[in-house]
Amino acid sequence: MAATYNQLPSVISERPGFARRAARAIAHDWLALFGLVIIAVVVVAALIGPLLAPSPGDGAGVINVDERMLPPSLAYPFGTDWLGRDMLTRVILGARIALQVSLIVVGLAILIGVPLGAIAGYRRGWLDGLIMRITDLFLAFPPLLLAMAIVAALGPGLQNATLALVVSWWPWYARLARGLAVSLREWPFVDASRAMGIRESSIILRHIVPNSLGPIVVQATIDIGTVILAAGGLAFIGLGARPPAPDWGLMVAEGRQYILEQWWLSTFPGLAIFFTVLAFNLVGDLLLRLLDPRQED
Amino acid sequence: MIRFLLRRLTSSLFVLAGVSVITFWLARLIPSDVAAIYIGPRARPEQIERVREQLGLNEGLITQYLVYMRDMLAGDWGSSIATKRPVLDEILLRLPATLELIVAAMLIALPVGLVLGMLSARWQGRPIDMGVRIVSIVGVSLPAFFLGLLLQILFFRSLDVLPLSGRVDSDLRFVSPIDTVTGVYIVDAAVTGNWSALRDVAWHLILPAITLAAYPIGLISRMTRSAMLESLGKDYIRMARAYGLRERYIVSRLALRNAMVPVLTVIGLTLAYLLTGTFFVEIVFNWPGLGTFAVRSILATDYPAIMGIALFGAAAYVVINLVVDLAQAWVDPRIRLT
Amino acid sequence: MVTPPGPVSEPVLRIRDLRVRFRTPGRRVTAVSGIDLDVGQGEILGVVGETGCGKTVTGLSVLGLLPDTAEVEAAELRLLGRDLTSLTDDQWRGLRGTDVAMVFQNPTGSFNPVFTIGAQMRDVLAAHDGLKGRAAAARIHEVLTACAMPDPDRVIGSYPHQLSGGMLQRAMLALALLSRPKLLVADEPTTALDVTIAAQILELILGLQREMGFSVLFITHDLGVVRRVCSRVAVLYAGRVVETAGTADLFRAPQHPYTRGLIAAVPRTHRAAGALATIRGSVPPDPGAIVGCAFRERCELAIERCATERPELRSLVGGQRVACHVATDEAGATVAER
Repeated sequence: MAATYNQLPSVISERPGFARRAARAIAHDWLALFGLVIIAVVVVAALIGPLLAPSPGDGAGVINVDERMLPPSLAYPFGTDWLGRDMLTRVILGARIALQVSLIVVGLAILIGVPLGAIAGYRRGWLDGLIMRITDLFLAFPPLLLAMAIVAALGPGLQNATLALVVSWWPWYARLARGLAVSLREWPFVDASRAMGIRESSIILRHIVPNSLGPIVVQATIDIGTVILAAGGLAFIGLGARPPAPDWGLMVAEGRQYILEQWWLSTFPGLAIFFTVLAFNLVGDLLLRLLDPRQED
Repeated sequence: MIRFLLRRLTSSLFVLAGVSVITFWLARLIPSDVAAIYIGPRARPEQIERVREQLGLNEGLITQYLVYMRDMLAGDWGSSIATKRPVLDEILLRLPATLELIVAAMLIALPVGLVLGMLSARWQGRPIDMGVRIVSIVGVSLPAFFLGLLLQILFFRSLDVLPLSGRVDSDLRFVSPIDTVTGVYIVDAAVTGNWSALRDVAWHLILPAITLAAYPIGLISRMTRSAMLESLGKDYIRMARAYGLRERYIVSRLALRNAMVPVLTVIGLTLAYLLTGTFFVEIVFNWPGLGTFAVRSILATDYPAIMGIALFGAAAYVVINLVVDLAQAWVDPRIRLT
Repeated sequence: MVTPPGPVSEPVLRIRDLRVRFRTPGRRVTAVSGIDLDVGQGEILGVVGETGCGKTVTGLSVLGLLPDTAEVEAAELRLLGRDLTSLTDDQWRGLRGTDVAMVFQNPTGSFNPVFTIGAQMRDVLAAHDGLKGRAAAARIHEVLTACAMPDPDRVIGSYPHQLSGGMLQRAMLALALLSRPKLLVADEPTTALDVTIAAQILELILGLQREMGFSVLFITHDLGVVRRVCSRVAVLYAGRVVETAGTADLFRAPQHPYTRGLIAAVPRTHRAAGALATIRGSVPPDPGAIVGCAFRERCELAIERCATERPELRSLVGGQRVACHVATDEAGATVAER
């Protein structure tokens, strides 16, 4: 799992011209631009994939026996598989599965983890101790091991895999949110607000939350990529999406037995995973630099 | 330092206890009937009931947990449904192969990651910094199972310089078998002077180790770079320069030691990654270790084996975290106060 | 207060027309635009000014510690007669800590938190004098004792976080004196300390200077400290020297309007409180872009000439030197000696 971003956040509202700085940073950094372009491609593929793909039927198990195992060519840029299905289509359709899973996992993990962590960090006391003990327990398992055990208990499938990943991921956000809350509550203006008798909920909403957004957004961006990796891994060993779904990890596994001759069966889905994750990591890196002045070179 | 150690040990024990509760509870989640699975599909209801009695499944939950803990601590982790042998034995049997792989991967990843990170920090802004940054981010983005396949295609299929899979050539068993000392083939071969076997084992170890090392190299180099940059910007580095100390000494000893604390944390995370990353690499390279056993158990719904592996993995992680904590306290004396 | 020393031979530090610019993305910022300074043998020269006047940059340029983005030019920059404007890295390392040593403002952050004080002092000794083992330990003990450190042996084995700010500042002084420098550059050594501790450190510096005879370039913003410790003072404003004088003369009869404003601005408790005296306006952001006198905008005595012609440092009858058209016109100055 990628390292968690846990440094003190800068106050977003104090930095004028965020959009301008962002534009300047992107223009200077071709890698980040590259990442953004790839994300755009993946998002488009996820949203309107079925409209763009050359043979949309191939995602749902259409069999085309005459066109089996064709290497990449003009007609079939990514080749065809053992059932004659167009690999390009399947890879495009896989984008939707990948993004859906990762957005659900990251979204739910934030929805569960951040409030818990924020309350724990802000209130301190026994609530803090309790919540932290629970997150420690979940984090005591090596990444993915808990997810695998859960899927093993519940049975393989995309939904169970997603659930297992949510259960594995929320503690990271709880811990991140708690760390932020703990440091933010010591900030002078929070202290001053408390001294002036401002209501706690108001403090949390107007000060704590906006200043926490930065690190959480950075972590979430990177995590979208990491979840795609994890989901891909689970699918690879047979714990995720079931055939004939065009899941990238599943496709890599299915193509493995033919790897030495029909290399394109595993390669293109694998590259799809790689470039997507790379893109999210690059953009996450960019956001990291934008939000924390200390990280700037 | 002793007090610190004791504090960390007690909290580790608590975590282990908590982990055992989770694995116990997970095992109870299983919707199907354990007893029925255990005895096989053609059992009669009375036989199933007897097995249920035997396995203590009719007792209260707390009692079951206590029995579970008692057995666990005594070394009885149940028996694998697939192989019918004790789970702990199965784990220990396959452990050396996995250890061989993990250690090899760490021996590659740690020096490479640290050096790349330091170079990147020292020459910040120059081409080498950009190069290291690309390597890191690629390492962290490549799925291990995919990288393994790619390396197989490249080095076996195209270049034909490295073996495809497995730990040793099957012929070796007849030509010059390795005497088992530790179970770790590369160590055994070296220790018994079996040079042809040593070469063969090393050859087989290269691709899987590199595959497993890619993600750690990415993580370690990235954290080393950022921690070194932070350290190099501090006042005490300026003072070291003000007193004429050599730059190489300043970077590799004075700044690095301060950077080691977050780097050690990342090393701990890396080891955690290796614990599960090895599953994928072992599958791709047909490496007969814990990973292959784990995946096979999962797919065969061999629950005792799965829970045993989960517990083992978590226990290993707890130990890793403890060691990382101790190392951090040794490096930075301020941590001993926490 | 210390009486200024009589005329001596070659000054320990001789600076003529020092200019320092920083390259930032987009433009160049001038920090120092033409500073002349002399530090005689056995003299404590105070360099006084507000934040941003260039005093710290001047101090750092004496040790070559400015970052790569700094462009340093000087007609003369000599330490013990040696030209500093064209030194190689190796040559700089040779004189840092030996001929000239710097004491910094933040004692807690200036020591490396993961090494003991003793280890850090040993590093410096090993780098220059090649002293190791018992000889090194003896020397360390000697300087710590000279700095009135209670229980030197405990301090040698302690980590920075285990010592108070005052003790750390003593340790820093001791570190500076290890190799018997001829010039000590002290950058706000007492600013971060409690008043009582600061007083002790000042006494210590005075005592050590009397005993060992080194010169001090004492950088501070605090006029009270200057009065206590320094024999001569140079007042800086916006990267330029506006007045130099013996301490007594400076406080008795300040010549430059800025100096007068500074001295008047110090709140006095023995007189009836009225409004606090201030200097209206603020420090100009880019001194390098200013034509004429940098203080003109805030000066009540400014004449036309002040806007067009930059005032040079000229000597007055009493030995004071002032860079002000009004002051030199009034006093009928003699031609500037350089």
